Amino acid sequence: MFRNYIKTAFRSLLKNKGFTAINILGLALGLGACLLIVFYVADELSYDRYNTKSERIFRVNADLKLGENRKDYAVVMPPLAKTIVAEFPYVEDAVRLKNAYTMHVKKGDLNMIENKVAFADPSLFNVFTLPMINGDAKTALAEPNSVVLTESTAKRYFDKTDVVGKTMVINDNQNFKVTGVIKDVPQNSHFNFDFFLSMSTWADSRSNAWLRNDYSTYVLLKDATDAKKLAGSLDGFLLKMSGDQMKSEIGMSYADFEKSGSYFRLNLTSLTDIHLKSKRIGELGVNGTVQYVYIFSAIAIFILLIACINFMNLSTARSSNRAREVGVRKVLGSPRKYLIAQFLSESIMITFFATVIALVAAIAVLPLFNQLAGKDIAITTATLFWLIPVSVLIVLVVGSLAGSYPAFFLSAFQPIDVLKGKLSAGFKGGGLRSFLVVFQFGISVFLIIGTLVIKNQLNYIQTINLGFDRNQVLVIQNAYELNQSTKTFKEELKQLPGVTSATMTGFLPVSVNRRSTSIYFKDATLDQKKSIFPQSWEVDADWIPTLGMKMVEGRNFSKDRLSDSGAVIINEAAAEFLGYKNAFGQTLYNSLGGKVELTNTKKYEVIGVMKDFHFSSLHEKIEPVIIRLAENNGAVSLRVNTKDLPALMSQIKSKWATFSPVQMNFSFMDQDFDASYRSEQQVGTIFIIFTTLAIIIACLGLFGLAAYAAEQRTKEIGIRKVLGADVSAIVAMLSKDFVKLVAISIVVASPLAWYCMNLWLQDFVYRIEVQWWVVAVAGLSAIVIAVATVSFQSLKAALANPVDSLKNE
Amino acid sequence: MIKITNLEKFYRTEEVETIALNKLSMEVNTGEFVAIMGPSGCGKSTLLNILGMLDDPDAGSYVFNGVEIAHFNERKRADLRKHNIGFVFQSFNLIDELTVFENVELPLIYTGVSSADRVKRVEEVLDKMQIMHRRNHYPQQLSGGQQQRVAIARAVVNKPKLILADEPTGNLDSSNGNDVMELLTDLNEQGTTIIMVTHSEHDARYSHRIIRLLDGQTVMENIMV
Repeated sequence: MFRNYIKTAFRSLLKNKGFTAINILGLALGLGACLLIVFYVADELSYDRYNTKSERIFRVNADLKLGENRKDYAVVMPPLAKTIVAEFPYVEDAVRLKNAYTMHVKKGDLNMIENKVAFADPSLFNVFTLPMINGDAKTALAEPNSVVLTESTAKRYFDKTDVVGKTMVINDNQNFKVTGVIKDVPQNSHFNFDFFLSMSTWADSRSNAWLRNDYSTYVLLKDATDAKKLAGSLDGFLLKMSGDQMKSEIGMSYADFEKSGSYFRLNLTSLTDIHLKSKRIGELGVNGTVQYVYIFSAIAIFILLIACINFMNLSTARSSNRAREVGVRKVLGSPRKYLIAQFLSESIMITFFATVIALVAAIAVLPLFNQLAGKDIAITTATLFWLIPVSVLIVLVVGSLAGSYPAFFLSAFQPIDVLKGKLSAGFKGGGLRSFLVVFQFGISVFLIIGTLVIKNQLNYIQTINLGFDRNQVLVIQNAYELNQSTKTFKEELKQLPGVTSATMTGFLPVSVNRRSTSIYFKDATLDQKKSIFPQSWEVDADWIPTLGMKMVEGRNFSKDRLSDSGAVIINEAAAEFLGYKNAFGQTLYNSLGGKVELTNTKKYEVIGVMKDFHFSSLHEKIEPVIIRLAENNGAVSLRVNTKDLPALMSQIKSKWATFSPVQMNFSFMDQDFDASYRSEQQVGTIFIIFTTLAIIIACLGLFGLAAYAAEQRTKEIGIRKVLGADVSAIVAMLSKDFVKLVAISIVVASPLAWYCMNLWLQDFVYRIEVQWWVVAVAGLSAIVIAVATVSFQSLKAALANPVDSLKNE
Repeated sequence: MIKITNLEKFYRTEEVETIALNKLSMEVNTGEFVAIMGPSGCGKSTLLNILGMLDDPDAGSYVFNGVEIAHFNERKRADLRKHNIGFVFQSFNLIDELTVFENVELPLIYTGVSSADRVKRVEEVLDKMQIMHRRNHYPQQLSGGQQQRVAIARAVVNKPKLILADEPTGNLDSSNGNDVMELLTDLNEQGTTIIMVTHSEHDARYSHRIIRLLDGQTVMENIMV
């Protein structure tokens, strides 16, 4: 029996090659796109799950509120890790990581710049699953000046991994002993370092300060269910540990601190939530967004739906061709359930072929997809472990889903009706089919609108007036290497033709650069309710002109005025926060740390207000910024204006070489800016690709349907032509039905898309409006695409010789 | 074998009600070869469909082998049908995707005959119909006469008690038509009851009895000698 189904199905598919091709191709395209998204989503969801203890690992966070200022940190106090293990018996272990940012490491005579360096406690390898290839995991990070390398880093420096005991020179004069080589940190980890230096090397790690947050700290619980208990005890724990320091250093008890509307609290984030759900100050890497996981999952489901609908529509449209077979089988005594089984097995077979094609195609384009998505997804045996069952499931579920309507529809035919030819009108009267076309094109219109909105928003981010001019700014990132002579270097660069101006500071308005916050009080009462906790940056007098900032009030710093060492310039956001109508001449008291007393503050005079400029993500509001004059040699930025940039670059490089043997590390500010929106750009690109695919698949279905509609009406077309209808009238007649359906889908989908995209935009503080023309363009393109698809078939039918079609019957 | 009494069948459209069968009564005995004739629209096909249990009457009684089946639901009718009745159509109604062998095999599959038995019986019947050499061909590779032989083979492979033939020679030339009629006569002589709808007086002469219909009623019965 079953063999008979397969046989009939197979031959029926072979007989209708065009239909089969459209059906399998459409489904394969849909499934392939779906699979890629599944890879993407699976990768996003897999973050940090490579840790065998991931369920029991939690990161400790700190939330701080000072007056009206709120800061959420992903980092906590230096002594917390050690203390928490001692204090709570159910905390098995804890580990701290501290990002060391950039270091340079000697390889032969060369100094290599390394950006993936961190200090780590010895417990690192107990908490996280970072398998050691060489060396002893228990002791590797115990001694000061020890370094553990990843496998590929070891190969990069020594061409082998058996390097325990070798010495590496870091930052020119520090000798580190290689004590271990671990497997590379998996790509799906929320942190990714090449070098782990022993924490004991870093003197500050022994600090007992309970009032600052700068160490990423992870706890390993004995039992995951204790997390709630721990979270509930953290505030009491913090109070106990920090109470004395608060009294002695700030001069108030925690109760008073809280009374003034402020708080200082600890909480936990589960390790596996960090990548998708955590966006705090001091994250160890750029995290993903759970929203995109939802969006992409939705797109995958949409694409799958469209492909399934194609399948259903094409199969039922073809029903008249299959009807006779159904009739004969019924007359011969086939029960309905056999027929249902037959059509289901046919569709499962198609789905099987489509899935095989989709799998091969998805794996083939994976490298390209990785490049687009900025991912490093690989098919491993572990992938196959879930991929094969999922594929089987897809074949069964999609096959049954897509085949169910044709199966029940076709098997319900009354045999005498069919054999008498009453059911020849295959296309007309397909109410459900029309609904499905509307649904399909509704999704397409939705996706077109979505794509346009995302594209516009990304474009807006790219071209938004940031409040400074990021073009033609060269940033020398490692200017601090020059120590005392950075300032001389800067002054000498200023003399070069082609350099318009130069500024020396590590504080720059692109998000890869330094950030620092500090507390300022509005008046001498030092009341926290009248305090501001802004970005507090050290700049020089050339900063504002070099970066092209605009002043709205007052003046820039002047090198020649000694009094400017007591002056600050604030941005508009700070002025608004402080409630200044007229900021010029106001005074601010900057806390220098320690007890909140006038003697522990420095008094500043506001000499100007600069226009707001964007310096972090456009998802967030512009924060208050206060700048003051100070020598910070973190970086040197140059505004250049030259036609021959390579020549200028080599001049700058040779100038650098006279100051330092280390390689100059530089970047262009506009590129840094683009880099900080790369993940958004990638998401946008992926979205556009999948939307296009969805539309192509929908068109494929429409193309097939139009072909059948035309075929069904061949005789009608013949008669009309004999009676004098011209080609255009016939094309119009055939296209009209489809255009009507597409028009309905536009009406339904547009408001929905409008609503959803507005919701997405809410996530950006700086955003575009969904404009009416976006909807118009989407609707128009849907109609144009539909008409173009249908016209081809209609034209073919209209141009056919009527004699042939009439003789046919 | 068949006894129908006061059988009625109406077709309704929105405004018109057409009477296809009007209190029709007739009887067919086992082993008979009956021809049904009449002009287009007289209700021949409707009658055949009801006799073949493809359609149900609106009123009246239909006793098949002593069982009243007028009220049977579709599944019960299908069950009775596949064991007792073979069909031969004017347009053959072979399944294009199946070979000659597979087409003939189909009824046996639906009655649950084992695979080995199926091969034996299909080969037997193909041999009898002299189309064994065509067993692996597809319907479209055969002439009309050959296709109708396959259709007859399919109708008889299950050894039905009754064969219903709806203008079996309608799509054939006279020579092929005569062959088909000879085949049916042979089957009848071996004991199969045959009811045949035809327009052809020539074909009708093969039967024992001709029932002539007009407007859904029997108008005349001729007993052939």
